[in-house]
Amino acid sequence: MPQASEIAWLIPVFPLIGAVLSGLGLISINKKINNSREIVSVGLISFVGISAVISYKALIEQVNGYQSVEKLFVWANAGDFTIPMGFVLDPLGSVMLALVTTITLLVMIYSHGYMAHDKGYVRFFTYLALFSSSMMGLIVSPNLLEIYVFWELVGMCSYLLVGFWYDRDGAAHAAQKAFVVNRVGDFGLLLGILGLFWATNSFDFNEIAIGISQSISENSIPIWAALLLCFLVFLGPMAKSAQFPLHVWLPDAMEGPTPISALIHAATMVAAGIFLVARLQPLYSIFPSIQFIIALVGSITCFLGASIALTQMDLKKGLAYSTVSQLGYMMLAMGCGAPVAGIFHLVTHACFKAMLFLGSGSVIHAMEEVVGHQPVLAQDMRLMGGLRKKMPYTSTTFLIGCVAISGIPPLAGFWSKDEILGNAFISFPAFWFVGLITAGMTAFYMFRLYFLTFEGDFRGENKELQKELLIASKTNLDEENEEEHKEHGSIHESPWSMTFPLVFLAVPSVIIGFMGLPWDSKIANLLDPEEAEIASKAFELIEFLPLAIASVLIALAGIIVAYQAYFIKKINLSVLFAEKFPSINHFLSNKWYLDDINEKLFVKGSRKLAKEVLEVDSKVVDGVVNLTGLVTLGSGEGLKYFETGRAQFYALIVFGGVILLVAIFGFQSPQVS
Amino acid sequence: MLGTLGAGLSNFPWLSASILFPIGSSFVIPFFPDKGDGKEVRWFALSIALITFLITVGSYINGFDISNENVQLKENISWLPDLGLTWSVGADGMSMPLILLTSFITALAVLAAWPVKFKPKLFFFLILVMDGGQIAVFAVQDMLLFFLTWELELIPVYLLLAIWGGKNRQYAATKFIIYTAGSSIFILLAALAMGFYGTEIPNFEFSHLAAQDFSQKFQILCYVGLLIAFGVKLPIVPLHTWLPDAHGEATAPVHMLLAGILLKMGGYALLRFNAQLLPVAHAQFAPLLIVLGVVNIIYAALTSFAQRNLKRKIAYSSISHMGFVLIGIGSFSSLGTSGAMLQMVSHGLIGASLFFLVGATYDRTKTLKLDEMSGVGQKMRIMFALWTACSLASLALPGMSGFVSELMVFTGFVTDEVYTLPFRVAMASLAAIGVILTPIYLLSMLREIFFGKENPKLIEERKLIDAEPREVYIIACLLLPIIGIGLYPRLVTESYIASINNLVDRDLTAVKGAVKTNIFSGTKTNEILKAPKI
Repeated sequence: MPQASEIAWLIPVFPLIGAVLSGLGLISINKKINNSREIVSVGLISFVGISAVISYKALIEQVNGYQSVEKLFVWANAGDFTIPMGFVLDPLGSVMLALVTTITLLVMIYSHGYMAHDKGYVRFFTYLALFSSSMMGLIVSPNLLEIYVFWELVGMCSYLLVGFWYDRDGAAHAAQKAFVVNRVGDFGLLLGILGLFWATNSFDFNEIAIGISQSISENSIPIWAALLLCFLVFLGPMAKSAQFPLHVWLPDAMEGPTPISALIHAATMVAAGIFLVARLQPLYSIFPSIQFIIALVGSITCFLGASIALTQMDLKKGLAYSTVSQLGYMMLAMGCGAPVAGIFHLVTHACFKAMLFLGSGSVIHAMEEVVGHQPVLAQDMRLMGGLRKKMPYTSTTFLIGCVAISGIPPLAGFWSKDEILGNAFISFPAFWFVGLITAGMTAFYMFRLYFLTFEGDFRGENKELQKELLIASKTNLDEENEEEHKEHGSIHESPWSMTFPLVFLAVPSVIIGFMGLPWDSKIANLLDPEEAEIASKAFELIEFLPLAIASVLIALAGIIVAYQAYFIKKINLSVLFAEKFPSINHFLSNKWYLDDINEKLFVKGSRKLAKEVLEVDSKVVDGVVNLTGLVTLGSGEGLKYFETGRAQFYALIVFGGVILLVAIFGFQSPQVS
Repeated sequence: MLGTLGAGLSNFPWLSASILFPIGSSFVIPFFPDKGDGKEVRWFALSIALITFLITVGSYINGFDISNENVQLKENISWLPDLGLTWSVGADGMSMPLILLTSFITALAVLAAWPVKFKPKLFFFLILVMDGGQIAVFAVQDMLLFFLTWELELIPVYLLLAIWGGKNRQYAATKFIIYTAGSSIFILLAALAMGFYGTEIPNFEFSHLAAQDFSQKFQILCYVGLLIAFGVKLPIVPLHTWLPDAHGEATAPVHMLLAGILLKMGGYALLRFNAQLLPVAHAQFAPLLIVLGVVNIIYAALTSFAQRNLKRKIAYSSISHMGFVLIGIGSFSSLGTSGAMLQMVSHGLIGASLFFLVGATYDRTKTLKLDEMSGVGQKMRIMFALWTACSLASLALPGMSGFVSELMVFTGFVTDEVYTLPFRVAMASLAAIGVILTPIYLLSMLREIFFGKENPKLIEERKLIDAEPREVYIIACLLLPIIGIGLYPRLVTESYIASINNLVDRDLTAVKGAVKTNIFSGTKTNEILKAPKI
């Protein structure tokens, strides 16, 4: 059997085959395939499963020191240009592949339960397979151009999946917003890629870095141009990884089914931006100012996400802003020149955030039995509470996730977040401070979510509250929903297919942190052995402890405040804080007004501009045409008498004109030639 | 044995056959019994269109050598020697893909015209005449003959618009014919001027004209005339206003032909005449082409966004996509120019598929106003899927042909050392705005048609049936090459790359000549054309 690293190109191919098969089936034999949904889902899960096996084998090979594999072929050529495509498998790729295939598999199993009653079950699985294929393709891409290709494809899958319930207006708008905002980033990414190709004649990550540094030392391209290109390329990751100010699409994307929020909008696709920045480290490390911008954007995002999460009442939106914040941490790591720390956090975060999202899905699934399929109700924490007793698996795993993300040792989040904060402390102390504050906020809002959802008394039966919420959200209750309201179920634990992934993910959420112990980091050994050796030698407990203790203390403080406020209700935050500083409260609950700005400035602005252009087109440009038509109609009346109607006469005129033309220019020709 | 067979096949007059066969066969149609439903005519037209497609494929396989940059499959018969008119056909890399595209799209258009019940005999007669006529436009190697075929194709389009169009069909058809016929005067003038240039006996053969050394002023004059003529066809903003009307009124099959093939005549002719025969003038005007291309992309994208009529929306999106053809033609790089070629092929496929879907949707909803649709996707799920796939192709999703062609145009233009760096940066950035605008209008369109709650009025009044197999088949036929090219563009680019390289070399020599001898010193274009110091 060949080495898995050598056949890594097969990894994206298997899910693709599955997606194409079931997609064709959906188009041609729609009814039959919808009736045999289990066969389709088992088939697709096994296709992804094969990819997972190859991925793990490749990871083991890479851990054991097998060389990186890169194979290319000419995809397009013209003149002297060739555009190569192919695949690469290196340690970074193998880690990502293992992560993505694992989470995809778990989410697929989960979806079997979550989507069981949905009429789009098969379509959902097809999209999932298509997404996993694109995501794996992105990871094995050997150059920027191929990354761009898959980058767009994962964006497309995200579009399809966010808009999965296409009868909901919210989903339709969110899907479009996600795609367009990402295209804004891709605009920069594409221009950056083109510019870098112009400057270095290459799409390859390393060759670009070498080429740029050479060109700068030879002064063949101005430094501002190089900086601009680097920044343009960074716009792509900013959009995909939901960095300020292009993060606006991610919270809206929660309109998609919850398994999608877990897979695409928490664990994998949004991490693609971080991954690309990691791939481009050779380039970015040349320019400290770009590194600073990355770190700055990262820390703004990190703080912004956490601060908005403080006031969210929608369980999924709260988690979404938490994702924004955590992605900010990863970007901060990249800006600090510590890609290993960033990727480490990416891995740990993927585990516990996927688990948290799947847990929230489990909660929503249960809530829908009581309040109906109205996201405004089913996801609102004001209607939850006391779910712990009825949903033991969900609540326990959710609690583990909260502890992990808050950075309490020895769970996963502590090690990775601390690694980032440690690096930030060395590179940009100010950003370290932001990160530290955010850590406290993280612990607070996560435990706020936990206490509101799982502790206290169940508030879901409160009809008054439900009505208030519906009125507040301006959702019109049509008859269909009224009916759903009548059927009353009770809260119960989700089926095994949903709890199994939760329990499975709880394990790495607890222990995966040990992969990256600062004194003996296995993940650093794999990704960057030289750096890892230096780091482990330079490690000193005295340096490590103060920072670690500071971040643990602030996290504990956050948890204690949340406990006081939402569990034993000793302090009333709304009296203590919200009423005293109403402006800050408004600022936060309106999400820093960024959505409003976006809506007013860009959405309405572009509509207005388009309308004006259309006016010009139909009134001015076409107006001139129609006016000419009228004028000629008038003059035609006059000319009528001039026309003899004899073809020879017209031919004579035309011929005469041509002779004249030739006479004018024909005689000049000898002088020129 | 096989050798002689091969030799026999390569002597077969492939191109004449592909032109004359559909036209000749169409004259059988009037003799069909008039039963009213046109069933026989449909099948007859479909088989003729398919055979024509096979003939063009045969010519590509048997008589066309992709490594040869010269005109192949030549046939030369003196027709009217007194006028210097010869029946001269042939194909090089620039013609061949478009000939194949024409016969392919026409065959699908015939299949798309299945529901045409009004005067089916005349309809299919015109379609078949158009098939031959359009192949002729791409295959002729004589400028006078080119003018004749260019005009010939106007008549069936005019009739197809005027008889089978929508409410405003008379206005649209008249506008179309005035625009195109009016502008093609310039083709005739330029053809006569070029044919008589420097000789007593006129000669309109491309090969003869290409060997001519036209004076610079003469070239510029001809160039401007031809640019107007072809700019109407492509179309170039602000010469475009016939298109939304014509496209807005045409029925789906005619629509497919208009968008799939007719627009390409403009791009092809720009390459063939402006870029190939008038290189010195091209060196001066290329920057203008780039600017016009960028204007096309942004202006039409914005107009499309504001359009509330589905057909006109897609019509404007066609104009927007043609902007990339202009940029590619003006790029002086073989990557960019071959991107322009690929964009023509790609848009031929994507445009045809979208226009077909518009027609198919209209058959069901009986309205094209976006405000009157909503939530259609719940009843027409397969149609929704087809729409989504074709819209994604149109917004240049990777893995589909539109992405490759736009990427090639971008890359070719950006890496092109003929233009100064600021000019390239500015133009590439502006053109890339199209990357943002295209999904805005296409996805908004999808959202308004298919997403959201069902429009109760529409559901009540219309029976929304999902796509039938014939429709799925047509879209599948179009998506297959779209995805094929997207995955492996060399499928198509290899067929014309030799000719394009040749063309670009010629143009580059002209540019270098212009810069070296400084003929245009003092003109503004020269500033732009100077090689940047980097």
